Amino acid sequence: MSTKQKVPVTILTGFLGSGKTTLLNRILSEEHGKKIAVIENEYGEVGIDQGLVINADEEVFEMSNGCICCTVRGDLIRVLGNLMKRRDKFDYVLVETTGLADPGPVAQTFFMDDEIRDEFSLDGIVTLVDAAHIEQQLGRSDESSEQVAFADVLVLNKTDLVSDESLDNLESRLRDMNRMARVIRSKQADVSIDTVLNLSAFDLDQVLQRRPTFLEPEYPFEWTGVFTLEEGRYELTLEEGPDPTMSLVLLLDQGKDETSLNSGAESCVRLYAEPEQPLEPGNIVPVGKHVSLQLQSSGTKSFPIDVDKARNIGLFTQHTAEEFSLKITKVKNSTTEDNNSDQNFSEISPAAERVWVAEHEHDDEVGSIAIERVGDVDPEKLNRWLSRLLSEKGVDIFRTKGFISYEGESRRIVFQGVHMLFTAQPDKEWGNEPRRNQLVFIGRNLDEAEMIREFDKCLV
Amino acid sequence: MSGIEAFSPKGMLHEGWSTQVDDYAIVCGWALEGKTFLVGDVAGGLYAFEGKSGKLIWQVKDTHKGGLLAMSIHPDGNTFATAGQDGNVYIWESQEGKSTKNLELGKGWVEHIKWSQDGKFLAVVFTKYVYVFDEKGQEHWKSEEHPSTVSAIAWSNSNELATACYGQVTFFDVVSDNVNQKLEWRGSLVSMVLSPDGDIVACGSQDNSVHFWRRSTDEDSEMTGYPGKPSHLAFDQTGTVLATGGSDRVTVWSFQGNGPEGTVPGELMLHTEPISCLAFSHSGMLLASGARDGSVFSWFLQKDGQGDPVGGAFVGNLVSQIAWHPDDSALAAINANGGITVWEFKVRSKTTPQ
Repeated sequence: MSTKQKVPVTILTGFLGSGKTTLLNRILSEEHGKKIAVIENEYGEVGIDQGLVINADEEVFEMSNGCICCTVRGDLIRVLGNLMKRRDKFDYVLVETTGLADPGPVAQTFFMDDEIRDEFSLDGIVTLVDAAHIEQQLGRSDESSEQVAFADVLVLNKTDLVSDESLDNLESRLRDMNRMARVIRSKQADVSIDTVLNLSAFDLDQVLQRRPTFLEPEYPFEWTGVFTLEEGRYELTLEEGPDPTMSLVLLLDQGKDETSLNSGAESCVRLYAEPEQPLEPGNIVPVGKHVSLQLQSSGTKSFPIDVDKARNIGLFTQHTAEEFSLKITKVKNSTTEDNNSDQNFSEISPAAERVWVAEHEHDDEVGSIAIERVGDVDPEKLNRWLSRLLSEKGVDIFRTKGFISYEGESRRIVFQGVHMLFTAQPDKEWGNEPRRNQLVFIGRNLDEAEMIREFDKCLV
Repeated sequence: MSGIEAFSPKGMLHEGWSTQVDDYAIVCGWALEGKTFLVGDVAGGLYAFEGKSGKLIWQVKDTHKGGLLAMSIHPDGNTFATAGQDGNVYIWESQEGKSTKNLELGKGWVEHIKWSQDGKFLAVVFTKYVYVFDEKGQEHWKSEEHPSTVSAIAWSNSNELATACYGQVTFFDVVSDNVNQKLEWRGSLVSMVLSPDGDIVACGSQDNSVHFWRRSTDEDSEMTGYPGKPSHLAFDQTGTVLATGGSDRVTVWSFQGNGPEGTVPGELMLHTEPISCLAFSHSGMLLASGARDGSVFSWFLQKDGQGDPVGGAFVGNLVSQIAWHPDDSALAAINANGGITVWEFKVRSKTTPQ
């Protein structure tokens, strides 16, 4: 093995009109200091403005053994084989596929071909989704479901053409299909470069470093409001609602954009995992703590919030603000403010809001199955089960990711798979971390209950 | 490179000369009866060196926009052709490096070009089409569209051209415009070589196997179990043995008797990384092999495919092509770093203590 750095490759999929070319152009024109080579399909929507662009014509080659996971993209092998010889010209590769392409053979090329495997590493698969049309496409074609299923990142594009409510529903539908992917919203493919490049999605260790749990969490809160506040005291008020208590986390300096909301949500998932502290009305809401607002008394309940200087705060609440008519009001300080100012107790509207949609009925053929269990696994049993599963269902299993705790192994075992191609490698020491297992399968018509039963039989 | 120490040429490889070109050296060959050594780099640089001394005779820069992909030297050595990503084929004279003809095929790569053995025709692969031009650069024949990009070509005789692509090898009579034979196999064929008598067609396949057919009997066989793609294949001049890459050893199949079916191949093991080029000498059973680790070895082979190393050298970088001098008195290797090395090849008259 040569010690040369492998060149990372991002695969960009999505239906015609989803905005792939716009995104490509953005990436190529942005100052990121990378030299990117683009392999475009022959039927590219429009030409790419700059950069090293090579046309390829999506030649999918099956092998004589008929095995689906040996199917590769012959044109990619030729083009990448030639690109290897021009290493000085680029340090990153983007492969664009047509809307009708199955991402499987593209991904498999990086595992199946010895020469490509030595020189390039598959960094991640990004799928662009046209928010206005994906619903029809999902109903009509297997390709679009597969492109969603294979994705490490789903860019929900053209959000300006769709109502927020439909977006939320669409996002939760996509999340149901693929729980591994990060969902990012954009209007004109205006996503930051680091959401699509250097994902290291096939390097689980890195993924886990960035996100301790790589599953897109099902958030334990339904609503986030970001409020722009001045220095001073505010009141958080709630009316009668459906529950006698409600969990809440208050974060300081919460940004209003999608990325900040997502990262705020990530940290709140962890805070929500900590035991809640009951908070009776009249008590100040603490910062960065999981509290349970006690709402048993009738009428309006009020909790003070103290702000030390002008800043944005984020409230992550178990239920939506509507359900309790939740409000934030500025408490008028009668000694310093003159009476002609705004009304007392002026209500502050949120500068940004986000509803995290709760689970709902899943009716797509393509879906995610997540298995999370503490404890150790018997390696032999697990191997037998996985081999059988992948040989029987490999065609319908698009991606597999996860880590396993083997009995007697001090290191975590990391799994990665595309269809039947599967790698399991020991990775970092468990150390003092509680030993647990997390496996995700994304596929078509998978029997979740049965798979979990089978997995449980492998536990020691 | 780990665990490899550079060593000076050993055995029958003797210090000749070495030099450097501007970019990854991708193609090479001997022209003008071995007086001149030609090299092309990926950026489209062309160079001619004096075969004996290594002195630069001429060079041309930026010949093919996007990059140079292939070169074929005319059998008489006076002219040669180059092709590239710009969709063009240029014909040059070897003496001074003057371009004499430019063939524009269109938007697409020209990855393979080959003069016929008698030098009457130049076969050119342009994506899914194959063209045949005469010496004057006039289009003589054009194939129908192949089902996929053509991955290899070979002349079986002066009028018959073999093409390989996904799923098939096709033999075309380019004079009478006929398909003489079609051999089908569901696999991605990545390389092809014909035995000197034209009867055996061997192809490396993407599924890490070598598939071959005997044209006379229509029999085909498959040699599986390679760890990688056999992208490099070479028949010796008698058609007795077929040397194949596809791993860090050279696997040699012998066609003696009823072979190679049911026989154990010879295995030549000295390279530490996969084979990147193979070439048989013009006479005798001498094989030269180069690998990704930068090592070059020459081997004497027996008819059963077994062989012994007779010389070795290390050039420090992936060996992209090797070429025997027309009279086998020298061996040239070019590498991924633009390095050019030419060794004299001979039996030592007296041993020098190392």
